[in-house]
Amino acid sequence: MEEDHALGGGGAAPDPDGPDGVRMTWNSWPRNKVEASKCVVPVAASFAPIRSSPSLAVLPYPPLRCKPPCGSVLNPFARVDFAAKMWICPLCFSRNHFPPHYAGISEANVPGELYPQCTTVEYAPPPLDSTAPPPLPVFLFVLDICLIEEELEFVKSAMRRAIGLLPDHALVGLITFGTQVHLHELGFADMSKVYLFQGTKEIPKEQILDQLGLSIAGVRHGAVNVAPRGPQANGFHSSTSVNRFLLPASDCEYTLNSLLDELQTDKWPVEAGNRALRCTGVALSVAAGLLGACISGTGARIIALVGGPCTIGPGMIVSKDLSEPVRSHKDLDKDAAPHFQKAVKFYDNLAKQLVNQGHVLDLFASALDQVGVAEMKVAVERTGGLVVLAESFGHPVFKDSFKRIFEDGEQSLGLSFNGTLEINCSKDIKIQGIIGPCTSLEKKGALCADTVVGQGNTTSWKMCGLDRSTCLTVFFDISPSERSNQSGIPNPQLYLQFLTNYQNPEGQMRLRVTTVTRRWVDGSNTEELVEGFDQETAAVVLARYISLKMEMEEEFDATRWLDRSLIRLCSRFGDYRKDDPASFTLHPNFSILPQFIFNLRRSQFVQVFNNSPDETAYFCILLNRESITNSVVMIQPSLLSYSFSSPPAPALLDVASIAADRILLLDAYFSIVIFHGMTIAQWRNMGYQNQPEHQAFAQLLQAPHDDALGIIADRFPVPRLVVCDQHGSQARFLLAKLNPSATYNSGQEVVPGGDVIFTDDVSLQVFCEHLQRLAVQS
Amino acid sequence: VDTNVLPRPLSGDAEPTKVLEMYPLNCHPRFLRLTTHAIPNSQSLSSRWHLPLGAVVHPLAEAPDGEEVPLINFGPIGIIRCRRCRTYVNPYVTFTDAGRKWKCNLCFLLNDVPGDYVCPLDASGRRTDVDQRPELSKGSVEFVASTEYMVRPPMPPLYFFLIDVSMPAIRSGLLEIVARTIKSSLDDLPGFPRTQIGFITFDSTLHFHNLKSSLTQPQMLVVADLDDIFLPLPDDLLVNLSESRHVVDAFLDSLPIMFQGSANIESALGPALKAALMVMSQLGGKLLVFQSTLPSLGVGRLRLRGDDLRIYGTDKEHTLRLPEDPFYKQMAAEFTKNQIAVDIFAFREKYSDIASLGSLAKYTGGQVYLYPSFHAAIHREKLSYELARNLTRETAWEAVMRIRCGKGVRFTTYHGHFMLRSTDLLALPAVDCDKAFAMQLSLEESLMTSQIVYFQVALLYTSSSGERRIRVHTAAAPVVADLGEMYRQADTGAIVSLLGRLATENSLSQKLEDARQSMQLKLVKSLKEYRNLHVVQHRLGGRLIFPESLKFLPLYVLSLCKSVALRGGYADASLDERCAAGYNIMILPISRMLKLLYPCLFRIDEKLLKDPEEFQEPFNQLPLTTHSLDPKGIYILDDGFNFIMWLGRMLSSDLVNNLLGVELTSFPDLSRVVLSEHDNDISKRLTRILKELREKDPSAYQSCRLVRQGEQPRELSMFLANLVEDQTAGFSG
Ligand SMILES: [Zn+2]
Ligand SMILES: [Zn+2]
Repeated sequence: MEEDHALGGGGAAPDPDGPDGVRMTWNSWPRNKVEASKCVVPVAASFAPIRSSPSLAVLPYPPLRCKPPCGSVLNPFARVDFAAKMWICPLCFSRNHFPPHYAGISEANVPGELYPQCTTVEYAPPPLDSTAPPPLPVFLFVLDICLIEEELEFVKSAMRRAIGLLPDHALVGLITFGTQVHLHELGFADMSKVYLFQGTKEIPKEQILDQLGLSIAGVRHGAVNVAPRGPQANGFHSSTSVNRFLLPASDCEYTLNSLLDELQTDKWPVEAGNRALRCTGVALSVAAGLLGACISGTGARIIALVGGPCTIGPGMIVSKDLSEPVRSHKDLDKDAAPHFQKAVKFYDNLAKQLVNQGHVLDLFASALDQVGVAEMKVAVERTGGLVVLAESFGHPVFKDSFKRIFEDGEQSLGLSFNGTLEINCSKDIKIQGIIGPCTSLEKKGALCADTVVGQGNTTSWKMCGLDRSTCLTVFFDISPSERSNQSGIPNPQLYLQFLTNYQNPEGQMRLRVTTVTRRWVDGSNTEELVEGFDQETAAVVLARYISLKMEMEEEFDATRWLDRSLIRLCSRFGDYRKDDPASFTLHPNFSILPQFIFNLRRSQFVQVFNNSPDETAYFCILLNRESITNSVVMIQPSLLSYSFSSPPAPALLDVASIAADRILLLDAYFSIVIFHGMTIAQWRNMGYQNQPEHQAFAQLLQAPHDDALGIIADRFPVPRLVVCDQHGSQARFLLAKLNPSATYNSGQEVVPGGDVIFTDDVSLQVFCEHLQRLAVQS
Repeated sequence: VDTNVLPRPLSGDAEPTKVLEMYPLNCHPRFLRLTTHAIPNSQSLSSRWHLPLGAVVHPLAEAPDGEEVPLINFGPIGIIRCRRCRTYVNPYVTFTDAGRKWKCNLCFLLNDVPGDYVCPLDASGRRTDVDQRPELSKGSVEFVASTEYMVRPPMPPLYFFLIDVSMPAIRSGLLEIVARTIKSSLDDLPGFPRTQIGFITFDSTLHFHNLKSSLTQPQMLVVADLDDIFLPLPDDLLVNLSESRHVVDAFLDSLPIMFQGSANIESALGPALKAALMVMSQLGGKLLVFQSTLPSLGVGRLRLRGDDLRIYGTDKEHTLRLPEDPFYKQMAAEFTKNQIAVDIFAFREKYSDIASLGSLAKYTGGQVYLYPSFHAAIHREKLSYELARNLTRETAWEAVMRIRCGKGVRFTTYHGHFMLRSTDLLALPAVDCDKAFAMQLSLEESLMTSQIVYFQVALLYTSSSGERRIRVHTAAAPVVADLGEMYRQADTGAIVSLLGRLATENSLSQKLEDARQSMQLKLVKSLKEYRNLHVVQHRLGGRLIFPESLKFLPLYVLSLCKSVALRGGYADASLDERCAAGYNIMILPISRMLKLLYPCLFRIDEKLLKDPEEFQEPFNQLPLTTHSLDPKGIYILDDGFNFIMWLGRMLSSDLVNNLLGVELTSFPDLSRVVLSEHDNDISKRLTRILKELREKDPSAYQSCRLVRQGEQPRELSMFLANLVEDQTAGFSG
């Protein structure tokens, strides 16, 4: 076992995802089902649909599509018969005529989509109706007011900053909620006007629109219809009406700011021994209902800022009685969380409504207690929403993350709307489903596998919200049909095509087409399979896969499942003599996997009992939507060491890396820890860094901070930064992540200045010894 | 009956002050009048009195300067009352045992006099301090009540407004007048600095208004869930007026424009009432409802009725005059329970089901105001005045009233706007000087033994200043054995008042015709009885004779039959106007009732032409018949609620032009003419005359409408219908 490989994807490789943003567990695919199952790690691809790439070709015309039912878009892998003006689709082998306007093509004159390097292109055809302005993006803020004064002030100032950053053309709406829901009519004269909804009652969407006077029928309230009659009367009516609540940012900035000035915490009294009455569920229903009145195709996000648990009405996660604690993992396990299933069902329905409308739910949860992320997860994830979990609205994790979603330019997240993803693949490949921020559109077809993983039973998915970093994991099934075996000359290449339609931040509709090819591996050619194995992707895919199983299957034992999978994998792909553990070696493409699995077993994704269900949900949402590189860090943090003796260098994720004269920088993705060794801390406390003769020390102190800020700047949500000293109370943030090679009961001699970890966990060494022994067993 | 021979009440109501000559310790008749100031001593005698036997009580009647009801604070002694029957100490109690005991004049129980209240008696047994003790020398006094008369701290005066803001309310200009009037009345609302105020506006949704004093401008809170009304705030929907004055001002300033351009024609009155109840239930107070359309949404929605001609004259006729939906009566009960009085201001051009809406006022001590065909230009002053009067008149809050009487007699029925809490306790969430109550009396014993029967009205209420008080009116009436004496002491005003209320109530369970007939029957029986009494000595033929005291009664009964509430059938009054008139009759004090029944008719053209300095003749009231009209004259008919100015056909056009400020010929439609003062002597004199007339009755604003002789059908419906002596009046066919 070569432990010097043990560094995570700390950012060494320039672009591990390649120009297409596609990474696969296996880059050579087993040709049949049996071989695939022997591979243990599922055949899966992680794919970033609209990843930004400087070399991306944007084509100002509509794509050419293969004849139905295939529908694949012309790509560099197509065989082109220039003489006959034909192209052969690599996925289905159909022959297609070029349309008349392609008449001019020749070997010397090929359109962009046929350039070999253009495996990913984006089509930006002119809109059908060039006079119609692109639909305006909508930002509907849903603000919790059951807060203490201090938190309310924090959230107000965050809101003010956000309002200042909003693009002028964006439409803005505001809902505040506590015991009741307040929908602010921003367009009402010079006066504050608010529509109220009771927090205790589930209100159907139609009733919400009805109560707001937005129902299409022109209202039960038989208002005399002032809208012009005619074919578009209804559309006109509803759009003008919803504009009472959603106004261009430039028009309502003043109103919003003065509204925030007068905004106070919830007025309804909270009885002693009770939680505040907070109707998050109804508030989100009202938000979704209101957005339902928008013209279809409008990209909209509900930005929920929540400061505590929902305690009344639909979606409630805990009763108002403080003597009832918020559910823990233990409660969920024992089925002792009385509100959980009901709440999840409610948010599941909300998710369906939002997906139907094409709208996004973003959740900013800031509280010391749980707020119900675990229950709301489904609505956030299915709509492709963002989620940030912080302990206070004043904490940088919230403040800086919240700001990022409104920034444009370099810092922009590239928030896009109304995405749909279609996948085409060569025959013999079926799609099981997708893990990640999307929803199955239930478009069943020949390409759907029998077994489903995540969002399946479809070849088409909705992504109401997506951005540059959005990443999906597609699970494939290899199932050659009878006929394909008979066909004689099997094609050695397989093709996958990802078609992503989406509305970019400027409101224009785009189609991103990514076509990739991989090799089939015949028979049991393990060598070729091993060559094509991507262990980082494999680790992340396994993590995503078991997270899903843990959520879906009650009795699922993740540790056991991982152990057995790893042993099977090592048995199959390791080099060894039977029953001789010492003879065991792994190909470099597999060599770090055991450590990944070791860390995954100890991670927040498997050891959920160390966290609240909210935190677990939060970690999972991010695990499922981030790139492989980022997700690897979540599983296995990276550690950098800073000292006088050597330049900053990766260090083993091991307690042995701690030394008195070192500074360690741990990137555990959700948190970044700067850890000063004892001696360093003493010097710093004595103020050496302020003395001119100790400039080098000052630089040493500064370096990890600069690096930490570099990481933070790139990441959403902004990670929590912990600065601590050896033996300080905060040091636990580091120790928890380190391999316990030295524990209080390991009996090993501790090097002076080193540290021990108070744990009963086995160390990596012990784990690997066990693995070797079991893998070689006959 | 030949009306020409009937005596005419051309000088209005005559208060029976001669009673005070015989019973100087009685309260003034403005507070209490009996239908006859002679109580029959036996049931057999009583049965020969065919007119109602009872009283009309006007507990808060305005008294002229110098005759105010004295306020007495017994302090630690406590209010002195009979141990047994709870009668308040009054001028008719007698003291014995050297002033240490007092004898109740109602039940004759000997009560101890509290030590501090003991006073020596003079030789005749009178307390020597009687002259210094108003409670022993005056028929009307007011006691300051101690905490035992409170179930909670005295409430502050509270005005809550429920305002329809649907399109008709905005278009008619109503909203603007209401907002302005409320704003200009704020300084005069009673009870500063405790007064509280709040508003709900509504159309198809309810709009609450947050008036919290720390706000710079009010906040509108819309609740649209009509099936499940809830309050949008735990407080600040009702605020202290002086603290939130700037927010209230800002609200009233923007109210007229807030809903501009609204196309909403729906009205969720029922849910709005429920919401108002939720807001007010803690404190109680006055709820003023402004309704411009027929309630159309949510609970209590109403439908068009009364346009079916065929139902008149059938057994179902009366149901039109009753609330159709029990919701309104149930709400009224809830309001009363929570000390809330409801006043209805209704404006709808067509039908707004006053029968239903009015029941809110009926059971809460409230009042119904109907402005048919409301038009801002025409009704601005009237609405503005009447609303301001409602808001600023002295009001008694969270009141209960009881009338006690001596042994042998008992009050059996009560007629007016109130909720009967027990058999004899009237709950009055709010009561004021514009409301009177009537009650009927019956004998409990077949033969009365006492010579005198005492009555005592006690009104327990909270004053606007926050004091709990008891207003007590005491009166004595003789017991008589002679029917003739009963006739001699009869009080036409009280009789008409009671008869009118009874007939109105009958119209709620009978056909109009039956209600009128039973009233006429009482009159006829009574006159026959009187005739029988005198037939022997006078040898009369078939001729009717009237006792002096009842000489105007036939004409008033005739007028009652021709009044809007009771006259004719389907076509003779709109259902709403009829019901509104009915609600009105139930609360009117006697003098206003009589004036409404027999309006004053004056000729004013001579006054217009002469200098008022030298021509100060009083108004000469004319009989209500077309014979009084001269085609060369200008006449004003004043029923206390409206003036109608009749312009004779042969008037000089100069006069008319000066009066109207325009050429008459260019204004064929007098219904649109709004009188205003023009720069000429005639116009100025008219203004002065109208002002003078209006000062006579401050309870309502008489807006002046014009009609020209021969201008049909307006002349008939507006003017001639009031000439009760004429055959045509009050009946269409
Ligand atoms: Zn094809
Ligand atoms: Zn007594």
